[in-house]
Amino acid sequence: MIQLGLFYMAATITVVASLLAVTRYNASHALIYLIVSLLGSAIIFYVLGAPFAAVLEVLIYAGAIMVLFVFVIMMLNLGAAGVDNEHQWLQPRMWIIPSLLCLLLLAEILFLLNTSSHALSGTVVGPKVVGIELFGPYVLAVEIASMLLLAGLVGAYHLGRRYLLDMRGESL
Amino acid sequence: MTTFLPLLPLMILTGAILVLMMAIAFMRNLALSCGISVIGLLLTLISIIWVNLNLEPSYVTPLLRVDDFGLLFSGIMAVTALFICLLAYSYHQNRGEHQDEFFLLLLLATLGAMVLTISVHFASFVLGLELLGISIYALISYPTKGVFSLEAALKYLILSGISSAFILFGAGLLYAVSGTLSFADFAAGGIPNTGTGQVFVLAGSAMMLAGIGFKLSLVPFHMWTPDVYEGAPAPVAGFLATISKGSVFVALMRFFLAVDGYQYDSIMTGLYWIAGLSMLLGNILALLQSSIKRLLAYSSIAQFGYLMVAFIAISELAGKHLAIEAAVFFLIAYFITTIGAFGVVTIMSDKSEDHDLDSLDAYEGLFWQRPLLAAFMSIMLLSLAGIPLTAGFIGKFYILASGVESQLWPLLVIVVIGSGIGLFYYLRVIYAMTKKAAANTDIEVSAAGGWTMAVVTLVLLVLGVYPGPVIEWVSNMALQLV
Repeated sequence: MIQLGLFYMAATITVVASLLAVTRYNASHALIYLIVSLLGSAIIFYVLGAPFAAVLEVLIYAGAIMVLFVFVIMMLNLGAAGVDNEHQWLQPRMWIIPSLLCLLLLAEILFLLNTSSHALSGTVVGPKVVGIELFGPYVLAVEIASMLLLAGLVGAYHLGRRYLLDMRGESL
Repeated sequence: MTTFLPLLPLMILTGAILVLMMAIAFMRNLALSCGISVIGLLLTLISIIWVNLNLEPSYVTPLLRVDDFGLLFSGIMAVTALFICLLAYSYHQNRGEHQDEFFLLLLLATLGAMVLTISVHFASFVLGLELLGISIYALISYPTKGVFSLEAALKYLILSGISSAFILFGAGLLYAVSGTLSFADFAAGGIPNTGTGQVFVLAGSAMMLAGIGFKLSLVPFHMWTPDVYEGAPAPVAGFLATISKGSVFVALMRFFLAVDGYQYDSIMTGLYWIAGLSMLLGNILALLQSSIKRLLAYSSIAQFGYLMVAFIAISELAGKHLAIEAAVFFLIAYFITTIGAFGVVTIMSDKSEDHDLDSLDAYEGLFWQRPLLAAFMSIMLLSLAGIPLTAGFIGKFYILASGVESQLWPLLVIVVIGSGIGLFYYLRVIYAMTKKAAANTDIEVSAAGGWTMAVVTLVLLVLGVYPGPVIEWVSNMALQLV
């Protein structure tokens, strides 16, 4: 019963954060809420008995989005005007809601780690099982995914050229 | 121990992709890149034939099933990609540096399409779809000049992303109720037909259908099609209309036969409306288009409406075999015809750098300047309209026959009405080409492009005049699916 409550709490936080992310006008604010939403879904995975998926969710999604966020700041950081902009974007009151949501999630994960019965339902799926599946019956999925990444890489490289030409002053 | 030998075609294509990637990394040469792609696709085609002749249909891991149905379409896709490569060569010759990645992305997209045709599991289905999709985003926005292609790519990116989300959600619902992602387990009765389980199956199938409808640009989900086709470079538009749509349709057939979606009345009603509206709206909206690419986009919506009639006809047990045969043959004819039509647009646009030459005015008087090219285009358009002696006629005849067999009278009436409307706008283009006007500048037809078009036209006519062997082949294959 208590675990069901924990699930609903994490789910509510995820949904609220996602809604806020979609409705923000400022891209950096939206990104912060997106990170909260991803952390929330990581907790959901954990509660459902998939700690490995939860870790991946934090590492890849929240981590990658963080990097994206840093890139946005770096790209738009143009001297004094950039610093002003940053002051404007990162006012303390903007942090209140995301911090609150994150604190709730933190409390939840601490509680879960303490109670040690961390699986809400089903069996716990660890990294070893995932690895065996990935390189057993699903080995072709891994191979296709590698080609998918190649396609993304080549596509991104070519799309970037347009801006390279633009920056050099050649015709767009 | 599973043997991976049936996957030889995919391995060869992957090998070609890797070789091409290394070749581009060390030496950029358009002729070399095109050559590697063409040889790779030819080897893939040969290996497909070899696998078909020498190996029994089998599962390769739970993800893929290599059988005659999948191999047939993989082969058609290899041939189509080959044609696109040859047509695209001179198109890219005149468009500055860094054109080699086009062929790399084309091969990657073809690989994704082939994975789709043989996938019998949601994991490989989604991965194939995304491999195809991601390559296509980059292909659409390939030109470094002009903003039309960027706009088209952005539209496709957003709508394709949403439709993928629909498909994933649908798959999730089906998984929630059945605990499996494999089509074979669905077919073996893994999904409940009663109670709350049925709600999940219905909702899941409907979401899958909506997502796939986007990819096939069927009517309620068709809005993006003309804009994307217009903005995409002509060879890519041809790819979108053939390989991309065809592979998704094949996957849809596999999924639908496995889940047996035909037993749900509400889904069938939805399909009825989708097919009818696609035929009507596609044809009506194509009427007054002044851009050939937009015209072909709307026409492809209508053509897939016709195809959906055969797809619906599969539901009747009596007409099941004929309907599968009809769908497959129609799709083959559609592939050849569409690639031919976009091929002519590609050849016409060889020299125009910023924007493809696709306005109807540019084609006025083509018969007097380039009689052969105009003749090729006319034959393609006549085939799309379903005039005898072309493959399109046999295809449409098949659709009508399967509709009659399964007694889909209202849809048949719409097929006839739609074909009547279609005749008008196809003939409108031919009429424009016969006008005596000399406003056009010189159009040069490259050797590769010209010969490819000649071969495509020949195949189209041979299929239209003497379809016997192909029909027999398709019929045998359809028997395996029934």
